[in-house]
Amino acid sequence: MTVLATPVALARARAAARREGRPWTFYALAGLFIFYVVALYGPMICIYVLSFQDVRGGLVFPMKGMSLHWFVDLFTQVRTGDVKGSFDRSIKLAVLVTAITVVVSFMAGLAFRRRFPGDTAVFYLMIGSLVAPGLVLGIGTGLLFNALGIETSWYTSALGAQLSWILPFGVLVMFAVMSRFNRVWEEAAWDLGASRWQTIWLVIVPIIAPGLIAVGLFGFTLSYDEFARTLQTAGSLNTLPLEIWSMTLNVTSPSLYALGTVTTIISFAIIGASLATIALIQRRRAEGGRPGGHA
Amino acid sequence: MTSSSPSRGKWSGWLLVSPLVLVLVPFFVLPIVIVLVASFLESDGFGGLIRTFTLANYGGLLSSKLTLALYLETVKFAALTWFFSLIIGFFVAYFLAFHVRNQLLAIGLFLLCTVPFWTSNIIRMISWIPLLGKEGLINTALIKTGLIGQPLEFLLFSGFAVVVAYVHQLTIFMIVPIFNSMARIDRRLLEAAVDAGTSRFDVLRLVVVPLTKSGIALGSIFVISIVMGDFFVVKVMSGGGTASVVGAFYEDIGVLQYPAAAASAVLLTLVLSALVLLILRSVDIRREIAQ
Amino acid sequence: MSLGPGHIELAGVSKSYDGQTTAVDAINLKITDGAYCCLLGPSGCGKTTILRMIAGHEEPTTGEILIGGEDVVGLPPVARRTAMMFQSYALFPHLSVRDNIAFPLRVRGRSKMDRHAAADAMIEKVRLGELADRLPAQLSGGQQQRVALARAAITEPRVLLLDEPLSALDEQLRVQMRQELRRMQRELGITFVHVTHTQLEAIALADLVVVMDKGVIRQAGAARDIYAAPRDRYVAEFLGGQNVFSGKVQRVNGVSVTLAAPELRAIAVPLGSARPDAGDTIDVAVRRDDIVLLRPGVPLADGLSSLSARVLGVEYQGNFVKVMLDALGPSEFVAYVPERDFFRDPHQIGDVVVAAWQADRARLLA
Repeated sequence: MTVLATPVALARARAAARREGRPWTFYALAGLFIFYVVALYGPMICIYVLSFQDVRGGLVFPMKGMSLHWFVDLFTQVRTGDVKGSFDRSIKLAVLVTAITVVVSFMAGLAFRRRFPGDTAVFYLMIGSLVAPGLVLGIGTGLLFNALGIETSWYTSALGAQLSWILPFGVLVMFAVMSRFNRVWEEAAWDLGASRWQTIWLVIVPIIAPGLIAVGLFGFTLSYDEFARTLQTAGSLNTLPLEIWSMTLNVTSPSLYALGTVTTIISFAIIGASLATIALIQRRRAEGGRPGGHA
Repeated sequence: MTSSSPSRGKWSGWLLVSPLVLVLVPFFVLPIVIVLVASFLESDGFGGLIRTFTLANYGGLLSSKLTLALYLETVKFAALTWFFSLIIGFFVAYFLAFHVRNQLLAIGLFLLCTVPFWTSNIIRMISWIPLLGKEGLINTALIKTGLIGQPLEFLLFSGFAVVVAYVHQLTIFMIVPIFNSMARIDRRLLEAAVDAGTSRFDVLRLVVVPLTKSGIALGSIFVISIVMGDFFVVKVMSGGGTASVVGAFYEDIGVLQYPAAAASAVLLTLVLSALVLLILRSVDIRREIAQ
Repeated sequence: MSLGPGHIELAGVSKSYDGQTTAVDAINLKITDGAYCCLLGPSGCGKTTILRMIAGHEEPTTGEILIGGEDVVGLPPVARRTAMMFQSYALFPHLSVRDNIAFPLRVRGRSKMDRHAAADAMIEKVRLGELADRLPAQLSGGQQQRVALARAAITEPRVLLLDEPLSALDEQLRVQMRQELRRMQRELGITFVHVTHTQLEAIALADLVVVMDKGVIRQAGAARDIYAAPRDRYVAEFLGGQNVFSGKVQRVNGVSVTLAAPELRAIAVPLGSARPDAGDTIDVAVRRDDIVLLRPGVPLADGLSSLSARVLGVEYQGNFVKVMLDALGPSEFVAYVPERDFFRDPHQIGDVVVAAWQADRARLLA
């Protein structure tokens, strides 16, 4: 018995000692993680760098010169299409989608916390809308507008087509957000005399604010980047992804890369602002102690 | 004075969910119905529809060898993308959730993974061109080191490039839900299992995987439905050499063959729904997310 | 009739969630104005459901709930003038201590100056002065509890309902906060209804202890009555401190019954209000601290009942020693022997002893 027990005890002790260091799996997985991050960023960094070439520049390395030539080219040349206009439309559309997604997802998130007649049907409707092939829905929507005699445009049919995909996403994220909201806060508010509206505005919304911003951020990027559903529903005026798509077919100059750099900068500015807002809220909560204790 | 407790009101659920339904009905249900109806009509050859019921579109679709080839091609891409994004996504999430001890660092690294998601997919796809191309970085480097004499042709405008682009774009859809599931696992559970002498592989197989089932299912639904519903990546990254189900659909639309395209769309939607239902049967996602 | 504002009466109150099983079954209960009442029972006994029905968070399936003489069924908590303190306190994580306490005034439309003045007065009352600007996450469990108490009390409710208020605290703090609750109740002079599953908590705090089991009240009364004179086997075992055994009635002689059981010789038990017949099986309780342990062979005084038994275990408890005996076979039979008495002649495990008690101290259970 003791003869057997000793090696086991030794192994245990050794295992305990090893926990101070790292198991081999840590190094293996760290390697995988680094590989993933490099593969994730590497190609993108390549095109950002290549977009700053001068007029001799091509689509591949090596780098030929340094200038902002292709950025100027992007906004001035006819063959690169209506970048400015489509950019403008995409931002407006994304803002619209974001606002609607936050409000509708929040409401649906509240609804789905308990069962109601037909909830499963609505849930599957949502999942269906999420997984349906985008191009098919886009064409269906286009045909529907056609049949009704309504002109398709980015702010009607494309807005709806985008929402049919982005809302289910928003609601799923909202489920996760809501699962961290304790119902007892709501009960307490009611017990203390708050009306339904006061409960929503003074308790639920402030508590889940970071989650709502995350949903908004989701909505914005998904819309800003949406392609398949918008293709057949945007009407005569293009959104930015449609413009980029036609550029990939016609333009073979670093202008394309310059566009990539510009859109990335815009995206980063927006995420930066959103994350900063979330961080600010979290920090205020963590540190507390607002001077004067205003309401 | 309020008279309704938060736990009451049978219709409040419907009221709250009505805006969602008001979007989904005209922009999901009706378009699908229209496509379904169109799939049973005849084409006049000029983009118009003739109101006679016919099964010819489905007949043509199901008897064509091309259909099977297209589906095989699309399913192949979906399966490969699913496999690689699952493996990478699972282990990246595992690393972040269980190996990075500093929580702030874990969140920082997690954000690092999600950042590219906020940039244009199309741009991210074409960003592979300067790397994988004939004169791209990889070929140049390999030739310079003398490993190869001729540039590798299969790197760009090939099935390989398609899978690379998909995995590059979609792994994040695996990481986020799986990380979310893992974040709820009590680490002490794993430590207890290891202390009890369970091997790391068994801990993974018996504890971690079952507890992240909902995340894996959700990620799989995202990845599979996006790949099967996409034609753009295949079109650009395969260099036009490979077709896809949705690509063929797009071509049909281009030549105004609406009924044939619609039949193909209905078939694809059915296949996709069956796949998703299969996944949903194995795990109650709604309960898992909202728990 | 002049019932105080905080007088609570439940009349035939039942609650069923699915129409088949009843969580609360035809409860009748009166709690006088200004009393401290504890609802005591294991989890799932219906005590929290009763609390939530008084609070207005749930409505009874049948029956009436009267507060201050008026039927409040269907009214929201505000109209009932009740306030609830939740088990985990339910403090709003985004609001400071002051804003949490001022919240009920805010939703009633009171001005900011007004409500902050009221909140600050309350903060002083619960001794949280320097923490007014902190957020809940930065407070200890005890501090959080005081904030919850202050927030519930600021609207001057006539009834305060507390759902397991001490369960989130550690042992030492629990005793301290227990006293604090009692002090607040006296200062506010309102009815407190407190749900707990801890016997000690209930008998230490309450004017009225209500022992519950499976949706019905087993016994309601003053703490001392419940502890010293449990009505039935359930109450005796739940409150603890009693040896409970059953036996068959052999004879009834007007003032006492004689019963026998496989493990014991004939034992006489005084008749209370019960009127058992010969042949009935009845339960008897004897307080553990009424048991005296004697060495075998020592002559017994008059009026003592006794059992002989073997010592199974000895646990030192500080002011007394807990001696476990095998007198009843598999069921527990324990003597609480005063510390000094025990060590005058200590028993060892395995010793044979005679456990004796004054025959009139034994009680018949219903």
